[in-house]
Amino acid sequence: MFRKIDPSIVWTTGLLSLLGIMMIFSTAGYSIMTRQIIWLIFSFVVALLFSRISPRIWLNISPAIYTVAVLLTLAILFKGDVYPRRWIRIGDVSIQPSEFTKFATVLMLAYYLAGKKRLSNFSDMVVPTLIAGVPALLVFLEPDLGAAQIFLPILIVMSYWAGMPGWKILILFSPIISAIASFSIYAWVAYMVILMIFLYFRRQLTDLVYGFVSNTLMGLIMPLVWNSLKIYQQKRILSFFSPWIDPRGMSWQIIQSKIAIGSGGIFGKGFLSGTQKKLEFLPERHTDFIFSCLGEEFGLFGIIIVLTLYVYLMYRLLTLAKETRNRFSSILVSGFMTWIAYQTFINIGVTMGLLPVTGVPLPFISYGGSALLSCFMAIGICLSISRVKMSY
Amino acid sequence: MDEKVVNFKIIRNIILVLAVVLVGWSIRLQIVEGKKYSRLSEENRIRRIFNPAPRGRILDRNGVEVANTRPGFYVSVVRAAIDDETLSALSRILGMSIQDIVEKSKIEKNIYNPVKIAHDISYEQLSLIEERIDLFNGVEVGVEPLRHYPYNDLLFHLVGYVGEITCEEIEGDPGYVLGDYIGKMGVERYYEKILKGTHGIEYVEVDAKGKEVGKIAEKRSVPPTPGVDVNITIDIALTESISVYLEDFEKAACVCLNPKNGAVLALYSKPSFDPNLFIHGLNSEEWNTLLTDPSAPMYNRVTMSCYPPGSTFKTFIALAALDSRMTVKEKRFEPCLGLYRLGRRDFKCWKRHGSLDLINAIVHSCDVYFYQLGRAIGIDTIAERTSRFGFGKRTGIDLHNEKAGNLPGRSWLEKRYGMNWTQGHIFNLSIGQGDLLVTPLQLACAYSLFVNDGKIPMPHVISRNDTTYFTTNISTEAIETVKNALIGVVERGTATAVRIPGIPACGKTGTSQNPHGDDHALFAGYAPVDDPQILVCVLVENAGHGGSIAAPITRRIIEAYLNSLDHADSLTSAPSTSNVQED
Repeated sequence: MFRKIDPSIVWTTGLLSLLGIMMIFSTAGYSIMTRQIIWLIFSFVVALLFSRISPRIWLNISPAIYTVAVLLTLAILFKGDVYPRRWIRIGDVSIQPSEFTKFATVLMLAYYLAGKKRLSNFSDMVVPTLIAGVPALLVFLEPDLGAAQIFLPILIVMSYWAGMPGWKILILFSPIISAIASFSIYAWVAYMVILMIFLYFRRQLTDLVYGFVSNTLMGLIMPLVWNSLKIYQQKRILSFFSPWIDPRGMSWQIIQSKIAIGSGGIFGKGFLSGTQKKLEFLPERHTDFIFSCLGEEFGLFGIIIVLTLYVYLMYRLLTLAKETRNRFSSILVSGFMTWIAYQTFINIGVTMGLLPVTGVPLPFISYGGSALLSCFMAIGICLSISRVKMSY
Repeated sequence: MDEKVVNFKIIRNIILVLAVVLVGWSIRLQIVEGKKYSRLSEENRIRRIFNPAPRGRILDRNGVEVANTRPGFYVSVVRAAIDDETLSALSRILGMSIQDIVEKSKIEKNIYNPVKIAHDISYEQLSLIEERIDLFNGVEVGVEPLRHYPYNDLLFHLVGYVGEITCEEIEGDPGYVLGDYIGKMGVERYYEKILKGTHGIEYVEVDAKGKEVGKIAEKRSVPPTPGVDVNITIDIALTESISVYLEDFEKAACVCLNPKNGAVLALYSKPSFDPNLFIHGLNSEEWNTLLTDPSAPMYNRVTMSCYPPGSTFKTFIALAALDSRMTVKEKRFEPCLGLYRLGRRDFKCWKRHGSLDLINAIVHSCDVYFYQLGRAIGIDTIAERTSRFGFGKRTGIDLHNEKAGNLPGRSWLEKRYGMNWTQGHIFNLSIGQGDLLVTPLQLACAYSLFVNDGKIPMPHVISRNDTTYFTTNISTEAIETVKNALIGVVERGTATAVRIPGIPACGKTGTSQNPHGDDHALFAGYAPVDDPQILVCVLVENAGHGGSIAAPITRRIIEAYLNSLDHADSLTSAPSTSNVQED
């Protein structure tokens, strides 16, 4: 049965990519833009190709793709000599394998979760957590915290979409909140009280025991580990997570990014006229902070248009996930949607000074071939699913 | 409801909430705080460069430049852009410690603005920096107008000096920026507003590294407005002569006035300091030696040092006495036997004078006569009359930090010594010793009352046509009597060393007792008597008697000045007559 692909996915991604090309020209000039155009054409062909491939095939080869991706990540971790070990050079092209690892992990999670008809216990989460956790750990060790953090929301949303009760997931991952809250004793105590009240009313012994023990342990261990480190070690760890810190300090980046966006006003300074960008006050102009330049040159007006495009794309993907009858395909689309949505939110939040700095590219817009290609691969699969969504 | 639909709605709502958060946050940045960020963005890229205006020149009464402007090279750094390597190289070239450079650069709060760290660098230093300017991040060199004093230390106390502005001085004054020079003393300070001029402003666009990338088209640059020249009443040639006459002495003060209008013809204080040295800026060590030097070179001895006036004050005791009771003129007291006994204390005179009237007591400067005269007229008459002559009050000269001295009247004595103050205090006051303190300028001004029928002009350094006079309300008869006595002092008294053939002069010697060392020699007087041109007050510290030390110096000063006037007359008279013919 042949159906048409969902056109709104095509035109939203297309518009975002073209906007990306424009912004890359504005921030990095002609030659960088040309490279990105080549990547975009290539990615577009790949997406077109993928949209013709039956989702069933992906189901069958998911474990193989996942295994290759994990081995590849492992390989650059041991073989990579350029630090941080994020890149592989093939001829004239640098590839960032972590982008494809995200893609492969989404496939593998969908493969596993689709096979489980019922998800209800903590034990059902062991394998999915390992599937997401292993690549996350490897990417984290590269080190690339920005890429590693994405595996968590992907795992959460995909298992939720596959049928895992939301509150179970919440309790399962609550020690992470406990670890973060433990840096302030008040925050931690408040968090524990709320958690215990919640667990008490759930009236489930396993939940209560697990929640209490894991959260308490995490809350006690984290400060001990952190405080046993010397100041310079703490600083080294902080800079380890954010090696793009420039000599003027991280806050300088954020201040300049906020100045760029804030000075854009309602309608912006006009295309190619951003002074923050032009005079190089803006850091990472064509990659992680490309959105600041967009805010500077197109103002609130531009920001709202871009956010509308993203939200509409997410809405279409989410609708696709809802309407797709095939369980594997549905879970797969929810994973891709989460991946793109989360990166978008984190990236924009960082440029606006709303979130701490972690290096995450803006999907479809930031310069970078690997990120663009992997996103388009995901979109290609979503398009092929949209063609056959009514079949099981 | 289908589980999938519920999940769909929850995730959709989460996405919507996150999107709304992002839009809300960008509304905050771009609209609520948009103005602030626009300003910050402009401050990022637009640098205002202040081009200092050349200061106005300072010219003496004949138009000779005593302070002018020369170009000098400066070095400035941009703290945000400079790196450690550049810092250490710069410190080697400039001979400054890295810490000094960092400290200086920290004065400027904005780390993207350049701060001048060294003024007036040598050509050698300049070329060493220029050679490597591309490797030096955040270093700039430029030309600025610098103050120059051609007469070095000769006019230090009068003209003053300029130094780099301090943070306190800059506070709240938009006319100044860091690295500016400001008048710190003398005419430079008093007439700062006139001399300074207005900064030129240039707007340039800079990048994140602080490098200039171009001019800002939409903001017009303003060229600097030079400061206005200031003409002062000083005669530089006269001052040079005075410095030569005082060459042999370590510490001295000399002020010459035009007694008719109070114009300061010369003001010289020794020891002095070369104001050109302040242009580089003194380091803290140099400052300390300068400030703790026991000979106090920073002190303007003419306006800021207070001395007992000694016998030069007898003039004013006599005036006070005559003004209250004219009959005193003929009064003879107990004869001078070289000392006067009061209770168990002997008050000495410098000579046995025998019996004298008032005129001869002034001419020969008899202490014993004045002890008795002072006691006869009383503390209140002395204090009231002499304060009219300006003692105990500032003269109002256009220089900062002038001292008022001390005129010990009844209330002052009671406060200082309780009710037990004695006749002895009146004795000391009557011969200008003890607690009485005057500045040489006060003394000079007081003597000008003989020229202006009892009025004292306010002394001034800047050239101007109007003069403010203070009236003393002393009877003309008293003034004429004392003036005749002062002529006698020069003709046949203690100051015969001032006598110049053909030029009648008058004045009074003084020897100021100094508890810390040798006496100070003093003379105050003017010439010619019938048409006074110059009033001189000389004080030489620790030099001995006024008659033997200060008087001969005064004669040379008067001679030099009157000769220069004659010379100038003979030069100007010829062209002026031809002008008349043409008209």
